[in-house]
Amino acid sequence: MFNSKFMQSSRTQALLLIGPALAVYATFAIWPMIEVVFLSFQQWNGLDPHREWVGLANYQYILTNDAVFWVALRNTITWTILAVIFPPTIGLLLALGLNQQLFGRVPMRAIYYLPVIIAPIAVATIWRWMYDPFFGLFNQVLTSLSLQSLISDWLGDREIALYSMFVAYTWQYVGFSMVLFLAGLQSVDRSLVEAARIDGASRWQVFRHVTLPALRVTLAIVLVLSTISSLKAFDIVYGMTGGGPAQSTQMLALWAFMQSMQIFDFGRGSAISVILLLVTLTIVVPYLRWSQRDEGAGE
Amino acid sequence: MTAIAPRREDDALLKPRRDPFLIILWIILVTFALVWIAPVVLIAFTALKSNAEVMATSAFTPPQEIAWNNFSGAWARGNFETTFKNSVIITVIKVPLGLMFSAMAAYALARIRLRFGKLLLLFFLFGAMIPFQVMLAPIFTLVNGFGLIDTYPGVILPYLAFGVPYQVFILHGFFKAVPKELSEAALIDGASHVTVFRRIFLPISLPVLAALLILDFVSTWNEFAMALVLLQDRHMWTLPLGLMSFQGQFSTDYGQLNAAIAMTVFPAVLVYMIFQRYFVSGLTSGAVKG
Repeated sequence: MFNSKFMQSSRTQALLLIGPALAVYATFAIWPMIEVVFLSFQQWNGLDPHREWVGLANYQYILTNDAVFWVALRNTITWTILAVIFPPTIGLLLALGLNQQLFGRVPMRAIYYLPVIIAPIAVATIWRWMYDPFFGLFNQVLTSLSLQSLISDWLGDREIALYSMFVAYTWQYVGFSMVLFLAGLQSVDRSLVEAARIDGASRWQVFRHVTLPALRVTLAIVLVLSTISSLKAFDIVYGMTGGGPAQSTQMLALWAFMQSMQIFDFGRGSAISVILLLVTLTIVVPYLRWSQRDEGAGE
Repeated sequence: MTAIAPRREDDALLKPRRDPFLIILWIILVTFALVWIAPVVLIAFTALKSNAEVMATSAFTPPQEIAWNNFSGAWARGNFETTFKNSVIITVIKVPLGLMFSAMAAYALARIRLRFGKLLLLFFLFGAMIPFQVMLAPIFTLVNGFGLIDTYPGVILPYLAFGVPYQVFILHGFFKAVPKELSEAALIDGASHVTVFRRIFLPISLPVLAALLILDFVSTWNEFAMALVLLQDRHMWTLPLGLMSFQGQFSTDYGQLNAAIAMTVFPAVLVYMIFQRYFVSGLTSGAVKG
């Protein structure tokens, strides 16, 4: 259909169009990901021109001698499981509710989405203050409800600090899942829902057999995005507890940062990064394969 | 007269029996929304109270005398003039440039036949799934190698790199769904792809671009982890870094601390409110249906 000269020029044009995005992405996103693997096999303080190759020593140290690493790994896993269960579930329920013809649903959507827009570091500041054992909102409210027995040092108690942080995280991200589910609900066939209702299906049956199947793709997207955003929980931990008390709320992303940028052990920090990266890939690669297969079937 | 009759009919149609399920649902949603917005109300009220009033009154009592000087005080003590300026410069350069790069690449990947097109798309998509907070140390090393620590390009370039993948993914889905007839005629008439992209595809993708603009503005404005590593000189700090330092130094000055939070958050909220009517529709046409 097209002559070869035209094809050639359209390839040049494609190159021009893709070039800037590809160059900046490959240099500043992909290269660091390769570099972090190299760094994890080296001993380096970040400044010295000489980087010593130490093989697997960094990994060996982390896995056998670094007690904080195991705490951070356990916390990261706990956090991720919680983050995949709670914000998406609440977000789905809100989206289903706010998809109905209800008075004031537009301002309500805006209210639930508002925390998503607030900087995570500001969320950390706000909640840290609300959790303050002496002046904080939570203990004030509990006092005024005569529930003094429930008063706690929310962020200072090793047993509950992680969960206190997670409440703040949930407050921030529920709106994100909600918006994605709302968008997904627009693709549910209304006439199908109405037909099912007329045929006498209950609300639950409509949800189970009409709405939920139509949300399958959205559900996958929300779950993957929730997993990824939970793995990179950094700002909120840095701002609320800094990993404390006594490293009890330490997470892999923050611990990798601290090893490299505060203790200046780039090798060990990078080894932690690589482990976190591997965890991420075990989730991402199956999803990518699934979504590509899905697209192939659709074409 | 004639106008009234049909309206009555409409009313009868639109106001069926009050569904008790919907009433209960509404009550639950409103209660929940009040809880959800409570922290924001708390910030707004506290930001407008003097410290004496913060101590004397309960948290959800509206301010009696509005203490505007919290804002000027926080602005001066928190070095907001510098951090605000830096945040504006970085965001105003990064967001449009990033959207431009992404839209160009997404168009080429969606509408030009390329031998490695599908592979390239996967390559971009992969980046959307990687948490970059994992790689702060090598990003620091790389930017340091270019001598760009404590400079605007030194933080804008990595921001661009981590923004591009998700935007390419969304825009590619959108461009792919555009009917062929729209571009084919122009191409056969001898228009170049660049022209078709600029004249046809950019205008029709405005709602998606608006949705992406919100997302990108908010995430650039709020970005903390990379700025923490790449901007070490306090004259180069952005708002989130400034807020973190303010919290460390003046954490007991509640009025000013909350004024600082409000000033940090406000621009992002404003941009969201301006563009939000495109938000859900823009996301729908791109990501989920795509």
